[in-house]
Amino acid sequence: MGNILAIAKRELRNYFATPVGWLSLCGYILLTGFFFTIFLGFYSEQAATMGFDPYGPAEMNVDEYLVSPFFGNANIILLFLCPALTMRLFSEDRKAKSLELLLTSPISTAEIVLGKYLGALSFVLVLFLGTLHYPTLLFWMGDPDPGIMASCYLSWTMMTACFMAVGLMASSFTENQMVAMILAFGILLMFWLLGWAEGSLGSTGFQGSLKDVLSFVSLVNRTEDMQKGLIHTKDLVYFGSFVAFFLFVTHQRVEAYRWR
Amino acid sequence: MIKVEKLSKRYGATTAVQELSFQVPKGEVVGFLGPNGAGKTTTMRIIAGSLGATEGRVTLDGQDVFENPREVKRRIGYLPEVPPLYTDMKVRDYVRFAARLKGVDDINGAAEATIDRVGLAPVAHRIIDHLSKGFRQRCGVAQALVHNPEVLILDEPYSGLDPAQRVEIRDLLKELAQEDRTVILSTHVLGDIEAMCERVVILNNGKMVGQGPISELTKVLGGRTINLSVVRPEGLLDTLSAIPGVLKVTPGEAGTISLFTEPGDIREQVAAAAVPYGLLEFSGRQSLEDIFLHLTQQAEA
Repeated sequence: MGNILAIAKRELRNYFATPVGWLSLCGYILLTGFFFTIFLGFYSEQAATMGFDPYGPAEMNVDEYLVSPFFGNANIILLFLCPALTMRLFSEDRKAKSLELLLTSPISTAEIVLGKYLGALSFVLVLFLGTLHYPTLLFWMGDPDPGIMASCYLSWTMMTACFMAVGLMASSFTENQMVAMILAFGILLMFWLLGWAEGSLGSTGFQGSLKDVLSFVSLVNRTEDMQKGLIHTKDLVYFGSFVAFFLFVTHQRVEAYRWR
Repeated sequence: MIKVEKLSKRYGATTAVQELSFQVPKGEVVGFLGPNGAGKTTTMRIIAGSLGATEGRVTLDGQDVFENPREVKRRIGYLPEVPPLYTDMKVRDYVRFAARLKGVDDINGAAEATIDRVGLAPVAHRIIDHLSKGFRQRCGVAQALVHNPEVLILDEPYSGLDPAQRVEIRDLLKELAQEDRTVILSTHVLGDIEAMCERVVILNNGKMVGQGPISELTKVLGGRTINLSVVRPEGLLDTLSAIPGVLKVTPGEAGTISLFTEPGDIREQVAAAAVPYGLLEFSGRQSLEDIFLHLTQQAEA
């Protein structure tokens, strides 16, 4: 465990030792700010119009019309960000030959893989801290549901955990960081588009069965319920298995360095 | 004691190391000698546990490197040809990080002692990326030394250093070798081996072509190169070629001649033949270079 933490700490510090970390932090806050402003504007416009509707509800639900759409749409930032954050994890280490230090130390491959994974994942959690002013504003100005808010952050974390596992795996396959990023992005985009494809299919016959398969595999669709405040055990199991699978492949790949 | 038994490593169709067997007794300093691509790095990486062998075994005091990697790696310090540095870290943080990975109990104590030991104290607070090549090499040595291993494996520790840095690193390594450590050192510069090692293992094309104490190798194996310079070189070339045991005579500039002989000492005959031509200089010291050339050429033939 100590070794995992030591490697994780080193990886986390690396993000802040280079411009990568600070740029990502700025970019992430800027883009989430952009999304938040758009949805806030949309929400207040709707709310204002609704005030004139005698048959409409007394007020618009802030969770349904602002919190969920904001968190759901900001997912896409992670789709682009995660491959950029994970691309160097193994690629750079191999190219600079520094991986040799890890491989000749009395530690296991699992410790190396988990250390790098947790280090990178914790960096994104730091990024999430940079978004806490949005909920703070909402709690100050309005009355959102804290449970839903927490559930939304959980959905981001789960999603990132999956993205980072894919990125780590891609990075373990090549010494070229660019290739690692493109590979990771390609895989993630595929999972992303599966969700879209599922939405366009009919619900009967072959299309129905395909729809079931796709909706099972799709990563993004599983965050939708979570962003409405519904946490299903099956979704958590899915995310857990997803991460475990890609970390396992990474582990096998790193083991193979010793055999090539 | 390190024991390498019938070690082979194949990358697809290429064979990097073939049926290599040798032993290194505790406390001995052994030099790995061979041209580029001879399999030195591959062998060292296998011993250090960062590469798996296709066949064969490596044991340290009976413990197999592949079966008990944790125990064995704790006792080995490995400096690869390119030092495995995280250049974004400060020297002190890097050495501490290495100490933690190597399973040292007193991380700060070991790190500070190592930093002093290898002469990194003046730059301990600096980022590795900003250091000179000599200091980087020291960081690499620190990483290999921080857990005070019994075995040190050094792959081309002098490559890419300028002459002053070279002397500094050589002195440091000599000191380390004297502390009852088993040291395996690879290089293609023969002088380094002659200066430090008690024994050499000579590799060529993945196979061992010779091993033994340097003094013994020079006695048994290899011809020697004799360099002489005379006042009147005319006619001497033919005279020298006629001496039995002389393989090749090469005339140089301004009366210098170098000749290569078969195994066996024929210095006396050569000197006697050269005196009538006005012999000015004569040197017939047998160097590791001659043995090396002899052995590797023999292996190719």
